[in-house]
Amino acid sequence: MTTTSSLITSTDQAVPAVGADRAVEACAAAVRAAKAAGADEAEAFLSGRAGGYTRFAVDRVHQPQDVHERQLMVRAVVDGRSARVATTDLAGAADAGRRAAGRAAALASAAGPLAALPAPVAARSVPSLAPEVLWDPRTAAWGTPERVDAVRSLMGAARTAGGEAFGMLGRAVTELAVVDAEGVERYAAATEAYGSFTVRVDDGTSHWVDLDRRLDVLDLDAVVARTVEEAGRARGRVDLADGTYDVVLSPLATGELLEGFHAYGFTGDAVADGVGSVARRRGERVAPETVDVADDPQAVRGLPFPFDPEGTDASRVPLLDHGVVADAVTDRASAARAGLPMTGHAHIAREETPHPAPASLTMAPGTASVDELVAGVERGVYVQRLWYLRVVDPAATTLTGGSRDACFLIEDGRLTTPVRPARFTESVFGVLSRVDAIGADVLAQPLANVWNGAVSAPAVRVRGFRFGSAAPGAPTQDLEEETA
Amino acid sequence: MSTTTDRAASQAAHTWGGLDDATARALLEEALGAATGDGVTFADVRLVEAEEERLYTDLRGELDERREHNAGFGVRVLRDGVWGFASAPLDGPGTAQAVARRAVAVAGAAAGTAPVVLAPREPTSGTWAVPVDVDPFAVPAGERHDLLQRIVRAASAPGLVRSVTAGLNAKRQHKHFADSEGSRQSQHLVETGAMLLAVAADERGAQRRSFPNSFHGNTAAAGWEYVLGLGLEDEATRVGEEAVALLGAPQAPGGTADVVIGPAQLALQIHESVGHALELDRILGDETNFAGRSWVQPDDIGSLRYGSPAMNVVADPTVPGTRGSFAFDDEGTPATRHALIEHGVLRDVLSSRDAVARHGGATTGAARADGWAWLPVCFATNVYLEPGEGSLDALLDRMGDGYYADDNRTWSIDDRRMAFQFGTEAAWEVKNGRRGRLLRGFSYGGLTPQFWGSLEAVAGPEEFKAYGMPCGKGEPKQWGFLGHGASPSLFRGISTGVAR
Repeated sequence: MTTTSSLITSTDQAVPAVGADRAVEACAAAVRAAKAAGADEAEAFLSGRAGGYTRFAVDRVHQPQDVHERQLMVRAVVDGRSARVATTDLAGAADAGRRAAGRAAALASAAGPLAALPAPVAARSVPSLAPEVLWDPRTAAWGTPERVDAVRSLMGAARTAGGEAFGMLGRAVTELAVVDAEGVERYAAATEAYGSFTVRVDDGTSHWVDLDRRLDVLDLDAVVARTVEEAGRARGRVDLADGTYDVVLSPLATGELLEGFHAYGFTGDAVADGVGSVARRRGERVAPETVDVADDPQAVRGLPFPFDPEGTDASRVPLLDHGVVADAVTDRASAARAGLPMTGHAHIAREETPHPAPASLTMAPGTASVDELVAGVERGVYVQRLWYLRVVDPAATTLTGGSRDACFLIEDGRLTTPVRPARFTESVFGVLSRVDAIGADVLAQPLANVWNGAVSAPAVRVRGFRFGSAAPGAPTQDLEEETA
Repeated sequence: MSTTTDRAASQAAHTWGGLDDATARALLEEALGAATGDGVTFADVRLVEAEEERLYTDLRGELDERREHNAGFGVRVLRDGVWGFASAPLDGPGTAQAVARRAVAVAGAAAGTAPVVLAPREPTSGTWAVPVDVDPFAVPAGERHDLLQRIVRAASAPGLVRSVTAGLNAKRQHKHFADSEGSRQSQHLVETGAMLLAVAADERGAQRRSFPNSFHGNTAAAGWEYVLGLGLEDEATRVGEEAVALLGAPQAPGGTADVVIGPAQLALQIHESVGHALELDRILGDETNFAGRSWVQPDDIGSLRYGSPAMNVVADPTVPGTRGSFAFDDEGTPATRHALIEHGVLRDVLSSRDAVARHGGATTGAARADGWAWLPVCFATNVYLEPGEGSLDALLDRMGDGYYADDNRTWSIDDRRMAFQFGTEAAWEVKNGRRGRLLRGFSYGGLTPQFWGSLEAVAGPEEFKAYGMPCGKGEPKQWGFLGHGASPSLFRGISTGVAR
């Protein structure tokens, strides 16, 4: 395997899609133009991403991609009404600024002026991220040739074990520039190494994901060997009977369980509306002291980044502070409405209104190995991966989803029979309240639909986790054999 | 038949931006000319310019308006039988060549892995545009704002409505395509939509209702006339009242029941348990790592019993007005109608040239990409359940006792699109064919073939509704925009409730 070699150069060396000078100047041009066109306030950000993604399946590199994206977005405010204009055309930055001001003025004319929100509480002071936390030369040198070599080795290892491999290895450079009319001018660029694959041997599968700024954290040599071995061990799956089990959730499964935290009221919007956990249950203990969940853009593991698209320092926000419902993430507007500090969690997603969102979810690790967690279970289930989690009841933090890939019965402290995917409907706070041990190793994975989003978590042991299909008595048999 | 004035209005809606057909054609040729070299046997180029506008408001009267423009190239090549793909935004002279050279280089790096073969296809050229009566980008800010304010007022009339979000959206695209086999195509798309979500809350909890669909509203391939035809103010009144009524509604019971599922919920059911399951790349394993596989196996195509004889599912992007309507897919295959499931038997799947070459047959033209930046993959087009006959009332009467449920609240399905659990915003008890009590928290679940096997009857075309949906697939995930539709349909003996 050549993935973690000492190479720090490649014929396909990563560089930012736009670059600092050009990105900042484009933002500044947009802001200047908006102000000149009559905007009371103006700000602009430019996000760019240069990504190389090597997707593979069985014996093919079926989707080798080299994708460069960027967007300049300028926001102008006239009489309290704001409009945003975005473009990929950096030569048109000034025009975007002028149009934003014009559209804001048109809205103000149509809807009338809107009183300004009170000034938000200032952001907490955050120490600067060291350059080596954001930029890893080895990640930058993990070009298409190097990733294809790694994929060949990976597919070969699976083939040698009588199986097949599917997945993606990727490298990206993320950059963000922010400029406003009050003198804020920021830029940062960061590397990203990403690996995700599934090995299939007969009906047995095993899955792995990790991402980090630093390539070597992925430790591909070790995870390939382990994943191939687990897939072989996961052959001969049986149905999991409905019931309540002690479970060990792998780091991936724990991370997936945490992905929906935004929906439970840990945002400034929810606090301002008086709904959700922080508004209604702040200070309540919902989990043991060892369960410490935060949004931490400064955490080295995952995808640390120093500021958000509004230019606010991104700071650590305790969500469950040693098991107690704590604080909410905010953007500028929600901080003002809720009377909370700005935390640097502005988020603008496609087809959604802008809102604050956790983007760097972390759960503090413990000290146990996964084997030690499993050893403490007499009869239970090891869950490698959760899938398609959807919130059923945000007030009760209830979600539904399924288990997936290498899941096993645990009998007398050992992994035994592999089990097929099974559905569950559980309260996340309820699950976390029953955590009695936490693993030492952490894996990170992307947070879907969130810019630079990641969640990193350890394995946990949960005393009591209910598996059950949609309705009691519904068949759960895997029909693959019948339809093959 | 359209009048001269209509045609002029429609044409005006497509006259915008910097990429007219002639300019685009020149850029496409530049890119194709650079997508060459030793071992390069095929290339295609997509040049897309898109602009999107969104205006949202809420109870506080704050407005959020966004207009986003992008333009760029996606170039795909086959070099020594291996794909290479590169994309970048338009950035002045030289972009086309630079992107093409990067695509060739990427393909070269993967040389030696198993070769790709493309299913043969005759080149096709042409131009197509979505018919538009009223350009949504020409609607004044005041008119859009007034409409949103009326909606918010209507939905928030009941005192327990605590939150209302209302939005309007429009998007226009110039999509230009060329390939090394001789196809040259231009498509000009316009879509328009709206959304409304009301949340009522008190000490009993919080309940939501939405219109015209619960996930990002609804969007059609049409102009502003689509929004005007929605009856938003009347619907907003209903939505607010139902959200409040749900606070005091009894919990829907679990068990086994007959259910008539409404068209909005059924559209999502089709999306999750038919559309995704019939993507050929998925069936062949390409998406195993993330999106998953399918319970359908390659050898099933043509003979598998998917559902009851009442189940007829069609993929037809030639139907106008949907988010899955087009003249050519994103690798240049002309749109045609395909029966996917006939009388409950699987006849065909959603395929691309690459996928179908590994399975056999001809592509069904379902290679779709999100703008210029991403590779085409198999996505649903306009996939719908063909109507049967009769009204919703007649269907409820046929059911007798059971439930009527509609508008999705939550959804989850396994990675083979087999075992699922869905919940709806609202359901009504039905007794002797008449709707009775409103119920909250209705959920149902099952296994795809058993569920569709329990389909007894589908209401007629007069009850049919179409929905435009966003979707995600691939690694990194790209968005797909699809059309689904259905008439209310009767399912016998399905599992309701949630096991906890």
